[in-house]
Amino acid sequence: MITMAAEQENILRIHWDEFTFGLIAFLLILGVVTKMWPRMTKALDERANQIEGGIERAKKAEAEAEEIRQQYREKLEEAHREYARELEKAKEQRAAIIAEAREEAQTEARRILDAAHAQIEADRQQALVQLRAEIGSLSTDLAGRIVGETLSDSAAQSRVIDRFLAELEQGESAAQQAEVR
Amino acid sequence: MSADVRTVVAAAADGCEDPHIFNDFGCGFEAPTTSLFFPTPWLDFGLPATSGITKYTALLVVSVLIVIGFWFFTTRRAKVVPGRGQSVAEMLVVFIRDQMVRPGMGKRGDAYLPLMVTLFLFILTMNVMGIIPGAQLPVTSNLAFPAVLALSIYLLWNIIGIREHGFAGHFKGKLVPGGAPAWILPVLVPIEFISNFVFRPVTHAVRLFATMFAGHMLLAVFAAAGFYLFNPDAGGILGVISVGYSGMALVGFLVFTAFELFIMGLQAYVFVLLASFYIGEAIEGAH
Repeated sequence: MITMAAEQENILRIHWDEFTFGLIAFLLILGVVTKMWPRMTKALDERANQIEGGIERAKKAEAEAEEIRQQYREKLEEAHREYARELEKAKEQRAAIIAEAREEAQTEARRILDAAHAQIEADRQQALVQLRAEIGSLSTDLAGRIVGETLSDSAAQSRVIDRFLAELEQGESAAQQAEVR
Repeated sequence: MSADVRTVVAAAADGCEDPHIFNDFGCGFEAPTTSLFFPTPWLDFGLPATSGITKYTALLVVSVLIVIGFWFFTTRRAKVVPGRGQSVAEMLVVFIRDQMVRPGMGKRGDAYLPLMVTLFLFILTMNVMGIIPGAQLPVTSNLAFPAVLALSIYLLWNIIGIREHGFAGHFKGKLVPGGAPAWILPVLVPIEFISNFVFRPVTHAVRLFATMFAGHMLLAVFAAAGFYLFNPDAGGILGVISVGYSGMALVGFLVFTAFELFIMGLQAYVFVLLASFYIGEAIEGAH
């Protein structure tokens, strides 16, 4: 029985019923796969889109952050510059104030000095005038008494006094000069 | 016990009272025959060149249901954020696209991707039927089924070639190799014709069929041998030896089953890769 069957059996047989079933099966699967295909590709495309969109968004955010960082850096630099400028200005101002104060102080000192000088000069003049008058009258008195005559002539009187004083002054300044020397 | 082994046992039992090693009747080992691939029809059409409804038909239906079910349920609600099933389907599609379709056809092959996915899933499932317990008969070990698929690819190859390059252009491109001197053409054209139009579709189908056939035969031999060698009733040391032999056959069976699984995937891959190369060549024109 086995040998009989083996004689009939050709392993390379293609029976048309099996062939047809195979064809139907193949077309059936192909149909279902093709029918369902757009669902998968749609999902894949959408995913690709979303991923691309995500990358796009991330890039945008990154650019934005970079811009803000840049701005911040600029601001910081600006602040530093501003600070340096202020510092410079302050230094200048300080120097100016010091210079001004020194100037003022010197002026004041000079003024005080001048005023003192003027005062001294005025006092001296006054003292001189007073002295001259006193010495005049004193000398007249003295000379009158000594000479025994009164010099009634006022003009002659003052001429005598002036001459006397001039001599006196000359002697005085000579003495002063000698002293300085 | 699998269907194969039952067939073998039935066949062996025909001629021998005790189809085991060390039997008292002097029966030798009856290797499984090709009748493995001719299952008894459950319903005979009574027509010439038909097989009727057989185990092959049943397993074909099961394969179709498995593939359609897999594809339907993994892509029915394809979402942007994929679930597990969808991820598996997508990985498969990307694998087929990058490993089989694009090498053969380039970007243009994406249009044929559904066809290639169909081929791969269908062939792989039909192959794997060979090691599923209870089925244990690769559907592709019947030449009719690889032949259908190879013939479909063959027709598609011609149709695309004619569509892309015209009738004359297609046949000229496939029959007359560019750069060949004119005097050699009378020899070359028949060779090219046989090679491209006859042998190629035949080998495309037979390659798949033959590997599945041989692999299944090998597993059947191991199974039958394991059964034949198992005879603990032989008595004493002989029983022990027979069990040891039988264990070796079992180990061989398991190893070759794993190997078969690899071959099944590989053959599905090769078939789809070749289909992709053929169609790519038809699109491109002269070879």
